[in-house]
Order: sequence, then structure tokens, then C-alpha cells
Amino acid sequence: MVGNLDILAIAPEIALTAAVVVLLLVEVNFDPHPRVWGGIAGVGIVAATVLSVFQWVEWSGGSGELAFSGMITGDGFSAMAGMVVFPLAGLSLMSGWRLVTEMRRRGAEMVSLLLLAAAGAHLMAASANLIMLFIALEVFSISLYVLAGFTRSRADADEAALKYFLLGAFASAVFLYGVALLFAATGSLSIYGDPTIYEAGARGIIRADAGIAAFLDSTIILEPGLLLAGIALLIVGLGFKVTAAPFHVWSPDVYQGAPGGITGFLAASAKVAGFAALARVLTVALGANIADWAPAVAVIAAVSIVLGTLLALAQTDIKLMLAYSSVAHAGFILTSLVAGPAGVAGMWFYVATYAVSVVAAFGVAAIVSGHTMGRSPLSSYEGLARRSPFLAAVLGITMLSMAGIPLTTGFVGKLAVFTAAADAGYLWLVILALVASVAGLYFYLRVIVLMYFRPTSDDAITPRVDWSSGIALGIATLATVLIGVVPWWLLNLLNDALPF
Amino acid sequence: MSMNDYLPIAIMFLLAMAFAGVSLLLSRFISPRNPTPEKLEPYECGIVPLQEPVQRFPVKFYLVAMLFVIFDIEIVFLFAWAVRFEQLGWYGVWAIGLFTLLLVETLVYAWKRGALDWNVSSRQRYRRVVAPEAREEAA
Repeated sequence: MVGNLDILAIAPEIALTAAVVVLLLVEVNFDPHPRVWGGIAGVGIVAATVLSVFQWVEWSGGSGELAFSGMITGDGFSAMAGMVVFPLAGLSLMSGWRLVTEMRRRGAEMVSLLLLAAAGAHLMAASANLIMLFIALEVFSISLYVLAGFTRSRADADEAALKYFLLGAFASAVFLYGVALLFAATGSLSIYGDPTIYEAGARGIIRADAGIAAFLDSTIILEPGLLLAGIALLIVGLGFKVTAAPFHVWSPDVYQGAPGGITGFLAASAKVAGFAALARVLTVALGANIADWAPAVAVIAAVSIVLGTLLALAQTDIKLMLAYSSVAHAGFILTSLVAGPAGVAGMWFYVATYAVSVVAAFGVAAIVSGHTMGRSPLSSYEGLARRSPFLAAVLGITMLSMAGIPLTTGFVGKLAVFTAAADAGYLWLVILALVASVAGLYFYLRVIVLMYFRPTSDDAITPRVDWSSGIALGIATLATVLIGVVPWWLLNLLNDALPF
Repeated sequence: MSMNDYLPIAIMFLLAMAFAGVSLLLSRFISPRNPTPEKLEPYECGIVPLQEPVQRFPVKFYLVAMLFVIFDIEIVFLFAWAVRFEQLGWYGVWAIGLFTLLLVETLVYAWKRGALDWNVSSRQRYRRVVAPEAREEAA
């Protein structure tokens, strides 16, 4: 009933869940040094990453596999999601390690939640059924809600968690409503269909489930109202997770209020998981209806880009600036999706490299303004280059990458998504996005100017970089530069990371 | 679906905005305003509260309720498994066993962390286990 390949499809999740179980039991029984938690979590993350690589070897390049009666896919797409999310979780854990140790015994819960969120994120990318996708979305989101309010003695962390939870629950409900409408319109919840459902009934054959994609391919729907409403609600629900523009209002408060050490993971993993789910649902399940959803996605992208850039211009807190810029980046990534399957490789490149940058940026903010703290005013970065050349270099390169300067990953990512959108005929969107990128230079370069060309104030403290976050920030920065200079191997690799 | 098909949605959007705006403005201008001290009371009827509660109430039932919900859901899954017990065979036994084991682990963890100790106040537990900032507050 269950073969080895079925298990391989969820093997990273098994590794992470096992790590969480062991971690919690060891913590509660032996109360060991936090290093032990770090070791267990590290083993879990490395195992999950290696298993994702196995998945990639098995399935990359279009040969996919359905597991667990069509609930989970194993394909290059889900393997790539694992290869992006798990190292990202490791980087975030390393850069936020001081927060974990400061939390004392609750730190173990924090590590566990981070691992569970990573597992949920990968499950979102691997789901082949909309109900499975919803469960994965909840596993992922609920972990993040708790993480957002982890320093519960601080009022703004409470605010962040409550806002994230209430709005997130609302968005999940909207998503679920979309799933229900889609089911009403197509008679299936499965993206690929399930050939084994014939065998499922003991008392005779149950109707074959051909899946949403096959139904839409073979059927002309005369009254598409239900279908269109369902698609719209799905886009709204997932658009919330990736902070696309009219659904972004939660992100500034959450990014600013969440404890500094964990904000990078909140921001980065939500983007990766949300866009992976969005790409699979839109390009595979609703691939035949691209003419219906592409204009809507294009408009959301345009609104995100314009609103995110304009609001980021006005911010005086670096976390708020990053939050609004992440709205703009969500818009940039959405421009790749208007091209349908042709844009998925570009989306991967942008999302993966942006996630690394965001972890680095929030990692620096956490060191400069404190791991448990929320606020991080721009004025505390004045003259940072003199106080800590390393942090200034990391943040500087990250800002250049986010601005899309050549020789960084940000430039290649923008190039990839804009080419995809232009090839699909959305030239107006590309021109708008280019103008917004130029405007965005102002607030990214402002940070660099503050760090390198302003005198540092006398009472400014010299931030102390602990070795684990130093290593994490170093790796993230190196990746940003190296992949920015030689991006071809990754771009070629990502051409095999399409949903099958 | 071309961009023109979105025109009704755009009109609907504008109408909705206009409706919300007009309602808010109208109620602002034509509603009667007559504030009295009674309107600020917590309860307009019933006994007048004599004093504010001195301290925050412990909400221990909350933890118990959460644990209850977890095991309640477990029963839901067990029920679905029990109905198809014969068809699922050993695969089902392994799957539901693993699931139950995970929940038992939850219980062990919650128990060890003192979630079931009714007599310990949440403040004490928080101080005993948790954050340094709470210890400093207490000192």
C-alpha cells in the first residue's frame, strides 16, 4: 500500500518531526545545555536537506510521482522547495541562536516550532491535493503565529502575534472558501487526480477522480462564476501569506514586533512556501485557465510593486522598510507567474535568493538592535561601518542585492522574472516594475550611505557579533555574491524544478 | 477573460467603497450625540461593581482545555481509522500507532513541564521555567 517512494516524498518532514520529538523529550527530561538542542536541530535540518537532495536526484527534470493516494507529489518542484527551505531554516536558526539561548528552556520550544514550520513549508510545496495544502498551510502558519509572539513580555510582540494570528486565520478561511468553490466547480480537490481511487472502495468502484487540471482541460464550463470566484479566493488566501499588496497590512507590524532573531525566518519561509503553493496551484491545477487568472495576478503584482516601493520610501525604521520592500518583492516575484509554467524557474531563482538576503538583513538588524527587540530605527545604523565593518558589509551587499545591482543575485532574479513577464506579453508590468526598481534604489542606498558616510554618534554601542550568526551572515552574503556573479548553473538547475 | 471583463468588478469595488464612505459620513452627521455617565459604565443594568478585581485571574482551565481539544481530535481520527480497520490492515495499525505515539509524546511533554499541576500559579511556573526577564522582574 505504501512504497519506498511514498516515504521518500515526505522523508524530510519525517526527519524534522523526529528531531522535534527527540528535542522536546530530551529537553524536558534532562534539561541539557542549549548546545544539545542545537545539535539535535542541526542533525534534523541536515538530514532533511540531504533527503531533499535524494528527492531531487530521483525526480528532477519532470518525472514526478504521486504518493499517499495522490495527496503528496514527489517532483523536482517539491525537492527544490526542500533544498531552499531547510538550509534557510538552518541559517535562520544560526543567526537567531542568541535569542534561543536567551529564552532559556523555552528556547527548545522555539527551535521545535522553527523546525515544524520548515516541515510545513515543504509540505505546502509538495501537496497535490487542496485539502492537504490547507493542512500544510496551517502547520506552517500556526508555528509562525507562535514564533511571532515568542517574547511575550513585550507588548509589540503580543501585538505582532495577535495581528498575525487573527488576519492569518481570516486568510486561511478565505483560502478554504476558495477550495470549496473550486470543488463545487470542478468536482475534485486533487490537483493531479488520483488513479488509485478505483481501488479505494471495498464495495465496488468509486468514481474516478481525474483531478482539477484534467477536468478543466476536458470540459467547457458555460457558467464559470463559481470557478472564477474560487480562483480569486485562492489567490487572495495565498497572496496574504506572500504579502502581496492589498493583503499585506499585517506584515509591517509583524516584522517589527516579532523578536529580532526570528523575523528573518518569518519573512523568508513565508515567501518560499507561499509562492511554491501559488505556483503549483496556478500553473498546474488552473493551467488551462491562465487567461482568467493572469490579468488578476498582474494587477496584484502591479499594486504590490507600487504600494510597497512608495511606502518603503517613507520609513525610518529598517524593519518597516524591509517589510514594505518585501511587499514590493512579492510583486516582482508575481510578475514571473503571469507567464505560467515558463515563469516558474525565474520565480524559484528570485524567491530563493531573496529569502537568503532577507535572512541576512534581519540577522544584521537583530544584532544591531537586540535579539529580543522589535524596533530598529535607521539612526542606529549611522556610521556602522566604523563600529562593525563586517555587519556593514553584510547589510550593504544585501541592500545592493535587494536593489537589483548587477553582480548580486537580486539583479539576476529581476532579470529572470522580467524576461518571463515580457515574453508573456506583459510589457506594461515590466516597465512599471523597472521604474519601481529605480525608485527603490533610494531607500536601499540610503542605508548604505548611513552606514558608510555618516559619523557614528558617541553613545552608539559597538554591536557584538556572536560566532554562529557571524557564520550564518557570512554564508548568506557569500551566496548572494557568488551566485550573483555565476548564476548560470543555478538557473540551469532550476529549469528542472518545475511541477510535473 | 480579458481586462474588459473586469469592468463590473471595478464598478462593484467603487460602489462598495462609496457605500462604506457614505454610511460612515451619514451616521456621523445625522446621529444624535447625547453622552451620559451611565453609558460609560461596564454594565448598563445589574449590580454596580463595588471594586476592580485586585489581580489577574489564573486561566489554568485554558491549558487543560487545549489538551482536551488535542485528544478530542485524536478520537476523531481514531474513529475514522476504526471504521475502515479491516481494509487498512497493518498499514493502518502502524499509521495510527505512530500518530498516537506523537500525541502521547505531547502529553508527556506537557505533563513534565507542569501543565497539569493545578496548584502552581502560572506566574510561578513561568518564573521557574522560563525567561530571564521574568526572573529579573521578580527580583
